[in-house]
Amino acid sequence: MTVLHAWRAGRVTPLGELYAPPRMTAALLRLTVQVVLVASLWRGLYAQSGTTAGLGREQAVTYAVMAVLASRLRELDQYAGRDTVQQHMHYGTIVYWYLRPLPPQHYYALRALGEQLYGLAWALAGYLVCLVAGVVEPPGSAAVAGVFALSLLLGQWVLHYVMLVIDQLCFWTLRNGAALMILLFAQNLLSGVFAPLWYFPDWFVTLSSFLPFQATLSVPLSLYVGRIPLSDAPFQLGVQAGWLAVLALLTRLLWRRAARRVIAQGG
Amino acid sequence: MSGSIEVRGLTRTFHTTVRRPGFGGALRSLVNPERVAKQAVCDITFDVAAGELLALLGPNGAGKSTTIKMLTGILTPTSGEARVAGVVPYRERERNARNIGAVFGQRTQLWWDLPVRESFAILRDIYEVPNVEHAARLREFDDLLDLSSFWDTRVRHLSLGQRVRSDLAAALLHDPPVVFLDEPTIGMDVVVKEQVREFLRNQVEERGRTVLLTTHDMTEVERLAERVVLINHGRLVLDGTLGEIRRRFGSTWQVRATLADPHAVLGPLPGIALVRREGPQVVFGPDGSGAPTVHQALKAVIERYEVSDIAIDEADLEDVMRAAYVHAEAG
Repeated sequence: MTVLHAWRAGRVTPLGELYAPPRMTAALLRLTVQVVLVASLWRGLYAQSGTTAGLGREQAVTYAVMAVLASRLRELDQYAGRDTVQQHMHYGTIVYWYLRPLPPQHYYALRALGEQLYGLAWALAGYLVCLVAGVVEPPGSAAVAGVFALSLLLGQWVLHYVMLVIDQLCFWTLRNGAALMILLFAQNLLSGVFAPLWYFPDWFVTLSSFLPFQATLSVPLSLYVGRIPLSDAPFQLGVQAGWLAVLALLTRLLWRRAARRVIAQGG
Repeated sequence: MSGSIEVRGLTRTFHTTVRRPGFGGALRSLVNPERVAKQAVCDITFDVAAGELLALLGPNGAGKSTTIKMLTGILTPTSGEARVAGVVPYRERERNARNIGAVFGQRTQLWWDLPVRESFAILRDIYEVPNVEHAARLREFDDLLDLSSFWDTRVRHLSLGQRVRSDLAAALLHDPPVVFLDEPTIGMDVVVKEQVREFLRNQVEERGRTVLLTTHDMTEVERLAERVVLINHGRLVLDGTLGEIRRRFGSTWQVRATLADPHAVLGPLPGIALVRREGPQVVFGPDGSGAPTVHQALKAVIERYEVSDIAIDEADLEDVMRAAYVHAEAG
């Protein structure tokens, strides 16, 4: 199994970051500023009111700060490393993905896994600092922590597939800049990074439930802060697993078609 | 494993949309696109023996890269068949990938943000090369390509020459019997070009690798290839040794000799004509269609006359290939 031997291909993007300390410094600064601003904003908003949209002040701050930390999970700079699918299509280096014994979809997945683990280390470090500083609240119980961890795993997996679909677009459109911008906005808005979905009107929440974004971040964070009770967790985890299955099938199909396209055009 | 390449009737047709000129034309193309078929490669047949270096030549757009892409398995032919080291490349891409290495001009397969050695290590993992073997091969390539002077540098900071040397090493680290090189030395300075040529010669002669090389650099062809396949407009127009091609398209040699006896009487030499004589300086050239090669002529002159100095002028390969291209266009 080539994929087992090649697991170390997952170190590509994290290594690129480690060899570029300015990028790490910038990421640290940005994350710190974002956390401080977001915590201040939500504390300020709650100064004049009590519970809003089912969330108390500490719940809202915890949700917002953890959403910022979670955004670090998939925010490594592939573009600077000329390692985005779009760049490989543009420079014609995508041919090498098809010249190796490791299938492109496996290489992509390994690389994404490495990024996720590296991003998780950052998010975890940030979480611990925030926890000690009293910016975020600890989980309500061990069960909540366990369900949150599982839900976050599924959510990040769903997000991986969403990003993959956008990357796969490049095999047809060569460029995915516009799609990526739309996706980032939709992801931030509909997953609750900008503001927890609980503050939006009902019709908006219903509409967003037909899209996979809610499953990426809103569900695990709502479970963590207790806005979704543990009794609802099995249903929510089921929805996340459902999105995972649908997107896994879709991306599998797209990989096949992408390969056919490369084979037809010769890279 | 035998590293031979067999190509039989290989054909590739691309379907493209014709863009009509002007605004109205562009609109019509959008509503009613006109599709045309273009044969990039048409019924090409040739073989490359294991351990042979073959130069695949032709003008831009002749179909060289398309042929290489089919042989590497990236592109599926419309018809015909190819076998590379016993594998049909476009049917068993992953198996084929272990048998081949490839460098496509200035497109690098190295990771831009990582030091060269990290890229090599990632490829080692992908190709499942044992650590000991990998280290030994790195040492060997370092001796030939002087990699260690820059292999701890990030790829983005390498010069073109350093990057291409690294790419060559990366393509061969898993010890493939067959190597495809699509204009590997394009844009490189003469010193690095010579280093790369020496490396390729070593890999063919010492390691027995089969190399299929496309290039526009005739010095490279002259120094590396014994045999040449010329394609034009997707069709094979010539398959032969450099000597055969010279005989057919470049018989414009001259032998310049200085005779030891300036008054020597010159008799006839079969197929060789006296072009000019100025005292002891004589110039011979080919006489008619049955003229010998320049080396045969040289031998004949030396055997017949006592000479104190002798030199040959040959049409260079670039002139010969130009004549071959013109002939192919006319044909």
